[in-house]
Amino acid sequence: MPMDIAEVQLQVRFVTKQEQYAVPDNPYAIQSNFQVSDLNTLLNALLKETLPSFEKAVEFDFLVCGELLCTPLAEHLQEKSISTEETLEIEYLERFPAPSPQDCLMHDDWVSAVQAHGNWILSGCYDNSIHIWSTKGQHKLAIPGHTSPVKAVSWVSFNGDQAVFASGSHDQSAMLWVWNVSNNSVDCVVTCRSHNKGVECLAVSADSLRFATGSWDNNICLWSTSLSNEDNMPPKKRSKPDHGNTREPLTTLKGHREAVSGVKWMDYNTVLSSSWDHLLKLWDCELGGIKQEIAGNKAFFDVDWSPLNNSIIAASADRHIRLYDPRSTESIVRTTFTSHSGWVQAVRWSNTRDTLFLSAGYDNQVKLWETRSPRTPLYDLSGHEDKVLCCDWSNPALLVSGSSDNTLRIFKAKHAVTNA
Amino acid sequence: MPPFKTGLKRKIDKNNSKQDTEKVPEAKGSTLVEDEDLIKGELDHDGDDTDSEPEDGEKAGSDAELDEVLFDGSEVSELEESVEDNDKASGDSSDLTDSEADDDDNSSQDDRSSTDNDESKENKKGLNRDEDSGDESGIGQTHSSGSETEKKPEKVKKKTKNIRQDLRKQDKVKQSKTSIDRLADDINTTRISTQPVEQKDEYESGDTSDEEERRNTVGDVPMWWYNEYPHVGYDLDGKRIIKPPQRDQIDEFLKKCEDPDFWRTVRDPSTGQDVILSKEDLQLIHRLREGNVPDPTHDQYQPWVEWFSREVLATPLRAFPEHKRSFLPSKSEQRQVARIVHALKMGWTKTRKQIARERRMKREKNFYNLWGSSTAEEEERLRGIHRHIPAPKRALPSHAESYNPPPEYLLDAKEMKEWNKLSETPWKRQYTFLPTRHASLRAVPAYERFTRERFLRCLDLYLAPRAIKMRLTISPLDLVPKLPSPRELQPFPTGEALALRGHAALVRSADFDPSGQYVVSGSDDGTLKVWECSSGRCLRTVALGEPVSRVAWIPAAGLSLVACAAGARLLLLNPGAGVGAHRTADATDRLLQEPPPAHDVVMDERTASCVKWERVEPHDWAKGVRLIVTHFRPLIHLSWHARGDYLCACVRDGASRSVLVHQVSRRRSQLPFAKPKGLVQCALFHPTKPMLFVATQRVVRVYDLVRQELVRKLLTGAQWVSAMAVHPGGDHLLVASYDRKCVWFDLELSSQPYQALRLHAGAVRAAAFHARYPLFATAGDDAAIVVCHGMAYNDLLQNPLIVPLKQLKGPEKREELCVLDLRFHPTQPWLLAAGADATLRLYS
Repeated sequence: MPMDIAEVQLQVRFVTKQEQYAVPDNPYAIQSNFQVSDLNTLLNALLKETLPSFEKAVEFDFLVCGELLCTPLAEHLQEKSISTEETLEIEYLERFPAPSPQDCLMHDDWVSAVQAHGNWILSGCYDNSIHIWSTKGQHKLAIPGHTSPVKAVSWVSFNGDQAVFASGSHDQSAMLWVWNVSNNSVDCVVTCRSHNKGVECLAVSADSLRFATGSWDNNICLWSTSLSNEDNMPPKKRSKPDHGNTREPLTTLKGHREAVSGVKWMDYNTVLSSSWDHLLKLWDCELGGIKQEIAGNKAFFDVDWSPLNNSIIAASADRHIRLYDPRSTESIVRTTFTSHSGWVQAVRWSNTRDTLFLSAGYDNQVKLWETRSPRTPLYDLSGHEDKVLCCDWSNPALLVSGSSDNTLRIFKAKHAVTNA
Repeated sequence: MPPFKTGLKRKIDKNNSKQDTEKVPEAKGSTLVEDEDLIKGELDHDGDDTDSEPEDGEKAGSDAELDEVLFDGSEVSELEESVEDNDKASGDSSDLTDSEADDDDNSSQDDRSSTDNDESKENKKGLNRDEDSGDESGIGQTHSSGSETEKKPEKVKKKTKNIRQDLRKQDKVKQSKTSIDRLADDINTTRISTQPVEQKDEYESGDTSDEEERRNTVGDVPMWWYNEYPHVGYDLDGKRIIKPPQRDQIDEFLKKCEDPDFWRTVRDPSTGQDVILSKEDLQLIHRLREGNVPDPTHDQYQPWVEWFSREVLATPLRAFPEHKRSFLPSKSEQRQVARIVHALKMGWTKTRKQIARERRMKREKNFYNLWGSSTAEEEERLRGIHRHIPAPKRALPSHAESYNPPPEYLLDAKEMKEWNKLSETPWKRQYTFLPTRHASLRAVPAYERFTRERFLRCLDLYLAPRAIKMRLTISPLDLVPKLPSPRELQPFPTGEALALRGHAALVRSADFDPSGQYVVSGSDDGTLKVWECSSGRCLRTVALGEPVSRVAWIPAAGLSLVACAAGARLLLLNPGAGVGAHRTADATDRLLQEPPPAHDVVMDERTASCVKWERVEPHDWAKGVRLIVTHFRPLIHLSWHARGDYLCACVRDGASRSVLVHQVSRRRSQLPFAKPKGLVQCALFHPTKPMLFVATQRVVRVYDLVRQELVRKLLTGAQWVSAMAVHPGGDHLLVASYDRKCVWFDLELSSQPYQALRLHAGAVRAAAFHARYPLFATAGDDAAIVVCHGMAYNDLLQNPLIVPLKQLKGPEKREELCVLDLRFHPTQPWLLAAGADATLRLYS
């Protein structure tokens, strides 16, 4: 059958949204068994003809009927059941360059949480400690403080030398820390105690004024990130969590029936949460009520929302990553991304590209996905030797993942292309 | 009007006319009568000459006139007028008195004759032309009849006159002779006398054009009905049509003698009048009698042209094309046929054949079998044969039995030797007889064992018990119940998600914490481990020094306590602050720190002899151990009550003391049973009611703890029970046994198993129900964990639905052991298996 198709000639037209790579709008006749590499050669040749400034060969990705081309063109068309008679419009865009492994940061225990920001990487570890690394791979600080595995960490703000970050742990508390960069000293400013069970996830709002924690006691608590207490008590130096300032939550959002596995701020008033009770919920923070529910049929492990395309991706207790639209009232899965062979534990959208996201699975793989390619990820970031527990793409240049092989791996996105 | 009738003409009887002329007063005579009389009169009294001459002359004249008519169009109208005038005159003449009529007679007669001739010609043409020309033809008939009657009889009249006079004289003689005849005459005369009055009325109404049309309106009734009456019916006006005067025999005879036309005079039965048949009529009759076509012009010997033959002609005979209708099946016919067919189908009507058959059946005689019975079976029953079994058939004789068998069937020396050797055990021989060769059939001797064998055969038939084999042809597939497809029964665990590695020896037991966040496992390496469920992270390891045979997390949510059986010790551990719930852990510690007051902890001696609650050493406390209960024998099973206060422990070989119930809050124990009931395998609390399930080697007993009595004894049918699981509803029980069986009991149904499941190839060691989903799983020594859908309905009438869903690949096999314990996640459809290869596997 593929041999039959191989004989067919196709009329194609190349279009792009990236103006620097525009080619004349002429139809070209190509063989239907063209691969992506063949198309790339063709397009590069075309570009060389049309653009005098074009010198270095550029790798492109091709979108046929809204889906990324991975297989030979004929197979793709057959799968989509598109006629080969008409002129086909192929959209091309510069391929996201392959991330290259940059560093491997060794920990003493499983790395359960990670977040990068600028030059610094924050990681939480199962040995109850928090670590600060520079992006160059230099270990800055190991912070003991929690009494149980740290499950979530997040940068809150950078203000010159003073960096603030939050951490949540299975010891039922979340802590707010101040790190003096130049002195390389850290302080636990506030200990947030309200949860009855371990804190599972943590998210800081976009304006860095509040953060939300989700816990095994089925609740979500919203906390203020202000460093000073209401009575303006100066924070004690080297305070232990037991003696540090404790703080009450601004709001407690109750409604989930199982552990909350992921929280995410959507705007200053809306929190998205995922839970083991098969539900994604959108909360109104001020009212403390539920705005909307999206029901799945598996326990959710992680959730992320992108402001760029206003969609939700969720990882659940199976091999699939699901894309939801928060605007639709029905719980319809828009796309299912299937390539992992084990549970997917973490998903993160790209900050800069609305179609890219990162996922970490128990099959030791971190995968970089393009939303228009539901079967095949763009890249498999392999290297971990055990379950990958967390991943992060807060710094557009760094793809960071932490695993149960006690390592934190950094992949460098070569040159972060601005969104076309 | 049929054509042959057109020839019929009416002739008025002469007698009648005579009587009329004689007796009817002239003043009373109607126009018709007068007309008739006029004609009569003419016929009777006028001589031939007078009659014929004017006729001829008139004829000529009329011809001339006709010619003129033909040539001169102006005169046509005149002529027609004159004709009409004549007609009118004749019509008027009905109103005139007789005397006046007489004057007119001649002139009218002349006119008439001329018109008659014309019209008769026309009539003849008309007759040939068409049959239903209406009134005109009717008029024509009357005229033509008139003209013909004039012509024919007149020639004979002179001759008959004399004869008639003679006959009258004879009549007078006859009258004098018999009084009876006289009487008859009187009657006749009286009749005759009444007639004219009626006649007059009759003719008054009609106009001259159809004066002869005496229509009788009685219809098709037998005319003899009017025999007794003077009339024969009624005319169009409802007036009586009076019979014309009857002629007596003498009159008949006289008429016969003197009337030359008598032979062709017939009586019109409807009017009773005589009609003289014309020449054409006679010809017509003649032709009919001979069987010819009535039409004289018809040539029956003309050459036959077969126009419509089967030959296809080049041009069609008929110019118009076939109608479309001729190609289409008729709708109405179809409807009609359909109606008939439907009626036949519904039995409303019957075909002729059916009717005939029914009639035949009805005609056949039905005999009632007085002494017999209707059916063959009944017959047999009456004869005392109950379910007759035919005798088995004997096999057909083979070649060896022949008197002259082929040589290969004859025994050679070696076979003969064997034959002789088996003389003690003849049933082992190849044949029951010795194949022998005889020269001819004559030479065959009598069979010496015939009588004996026949006797034995009879004994066989008589004594051998025989039974009819009931064969059922049921395909095995029909016996398999229809089960829903597993796809519809999702969710259920379908594949391995996590492997929890860390133990050094086989894992005996595992359990989830009530929220499903943690897993506790006990192993033969003497450690107890606490794991994080979602990541498979070992959070805590407690070394206990002894192999841990059983672990169980307390089901109460507010406490953090794990019961653990290590050897003969029952340890209650707090997995501690390292494992999440700080506050619950602290609360549990506080609760267990101080022993309850001593007076609460009173136990009887029997219990005290086998159980010892011990104080916990500080280093043990640091490990997390909060309570130690030492038993007199090694523990084999532990199970918590749903509320988390009571704990049921089973010890090995404890006889009557093998089941113990500990109360944690009061730190005391009880021995619920006084008598040994067998080797106790495990004991479980009912999830909601105060009941205890105790499984011994073969039987599961259900005890009511409040009333302290045995409620039910469930017969498992298994050789050795290994494990037991209670449905979260409490009405169903799953019992696993070492002989590869799993047995489902519906406690509401019976003490017999509802279903026995043979899903495993080896001993089944573990069974578990899911708390929320209708799932259960069993596993054992074969490398497969079987997940089944086990739906127990609230409806008592509906049996539980059990559908095997999935065979999960179990942990690796070690020393003939594979899976030692199974647990379902409390909220998710995940399954945890404790494997013999020192791992725990989580399936999702």
